Amino acid sequence: MSTLFDVIAVPLSYGFMQRALIVAVMVGAVCSVLSCYLILKGWSLMGDAISHAVLPGIVVAFVLGLPLAVGAFAAGLGCAVATGYLKENSRIKEDTVMGIVFSGMFGFGLVLFTKVETDQHLNHILFGNMLGVTARDLVETGIIAGGALLIVLLKRRDFLLYCFDPQHARAIGLPVRALHYGLLVLLSLAIVAALKAVGIILVVAMLIAPGAIAYLLSDSFDRMLVIAAAAAITSCVVGTILSFHIDGATGPCIVLIQMGMFVLAFLFAPRGGLLRRRPA
Amino acid sequence: MTELLTPFAYDYMLKAMWVSALVGGMCAFLSAYLMLKGWSLMGDALAHSVVPGVAGAYLLGLPYSAGAFVAGLLAALGMAFVRSQSRLREDAVIGLVFTSFFAAGLLLASLNPVSVNVQSIVLGNILGIADEDAIQVVIISVVTLSILLLKWKDLMLVFFDEGHARSVGINAGALKILFFTLLSAAVVAALQTVGACLVIAMVVTPGATAYLLTDRFPRLLALAVAIGVVTSFTGAYLSYFLDGATGGVIVTLQTLVFLAAFLFAPKYGLLAARRRAAETGIATAPDGGQYRP
Repeated sequence: MSTLFDVIAVPLSYGFMQRALIVAVMVGAVCSVLSCYLILKGWSLMGDAISHAVLPGIVVAFVLGLPLAVGAFAAGLGCAVATGYLKENSRIKEDTVMGIVFSGMFGFGLVLFTKVETDQHLNHILFGNMLGVTARDLVETGIIAGGALLIVLLKRRDFLLYCFDPQHARAIGLPVRALHYGLLVLLSLAIVAALKAVGIILVVAMLIAPGAIAYLLSDSFDRMLVIAAAAAITSCVVGTILSFHIDGATGPCIVLIQMGMFVLAFLFAPRGGLLRRRPA
Repeated sequence: MTELLTPFAYDYMLKAMWVSALVGGMCAFLSAYLMLKGWSLMGDALAHSVVPGVAGAYLLGLPYSAGAFVAGLLAALGMAFVRSQSRLREDAVIGLVFTSFFAAGLLLASLNPVSVNVQSIVLGNILGIADEDAIQVVIISVVTLSILLLKWKDLMLVFFDEGHARSVGINAGALKILFFTLLSAAVVAALQTVGACLVIAMVVTPGATAYLLTDRFPRLLALAVAIGVVTSFTGAYLSYFLDGATGGVIVTLQTLVFLAAFLFAPKYGLLAARRRAAETGIATAPDGGQYRP
């Protein structure tokens, strides 16, 4: 029993591990709630696009002396808006446009990054630097993630209706445009919050996996939100502690634990799980 | 003037430029098909999925392309299996599988930071490419391009009108598998030039640009390949003056060419549409159909 206790207590006796854990849980919570909406809306890959697109924003913000989060947010939103605009005004399919815009922004960001001397480490932006989180980062992430989470939860019914059936939402007088852009704004906020912890590449996983797990386990949306959040927070805690013991990168550990949970849900979900299906 | 020619004086620059051009041409060829089908994000997913294979191959001292192929194949099978056995949407399944594979690759690299260089996998490192890697890239590209040149018509038939293709006796299923094999090969080769994160641009942007410029598929193919070759060659050349970020420069160039086509394309460009709208007084949709005025 004491060894199990040690497994958890030893990492937590370090300040940087405590901070890492708190950041991971905050990011996990906000991303998991959003992931439920993205799964329903079919926007899973939107997270991928926006997260890559924030790179030039970070560099430009650094040059202008703005907070990096502001630049990242503006660039992420810019990517979403540009994708919509190009799709409306050309005959190219949406997924192709999305690929062009985000890869173009990412590529441009890389070029900027090599030309501009920043105090940022490219690897940290790409893959996160959870163990190097400072108290200030903690506050910043807390404000962004908390704000985003609050808005989603307050407006969760409206967003839900919009994701399920935009026509119906419009018919009953919901501001569909505002909800559309609101969701994009929240997505960008979540990505900015996750930047410090898991980096821009793996945040995609955090924006898909919890929702997918919960979707396999539940038919009621409220329950889905709860399951997704629980799955995400559990995997963040377990992944962070595991990474300490195996001396590996934290972000990937969290993502792999989430994947493990998805596989379990995929196999054993009470209804529809692969191993629970009655022979027809 | 001589300063502009200095990149040509270095062997590694010459190698980088020719290899980039070859890879760019091959990826552009595939991009013409990919964007017609709406499979663009498959390229991205494959590129991320091969990362653990590459990391594992470097770790074990195997050829990187072998590892990449195995990982790519596993990811593709995983996606197909989860897709067929669950009620999740396709985009969620793709995202789920490729991010997990990618995370596995990063974890592998973080456990063995010495033998695996993540940054060169994720961002590419054509300027510092090892000779044996360059040879693999060239072999893959030449084989892929030859198959494409032999089969481009059959592939076109399958992609445009599968029913018709079947009725004239083309094995559509086999050709689709062939296409995905070629795509994985292209992704594996492109990994060395632009890195896992930017492969998607190489297999999407040139085709989309050409699609704005022409209605005929053979011409579309030729244009796409030309754009891919020129941007990749020029990008590698320019990166000499920027001290790196070859992938970033290539992709930025491709995006700029796309934006130019989006604005100025004679028939499908934004300005052409505006002009038409001003002349006729009816707003015309970009695909030639008409919006309500």
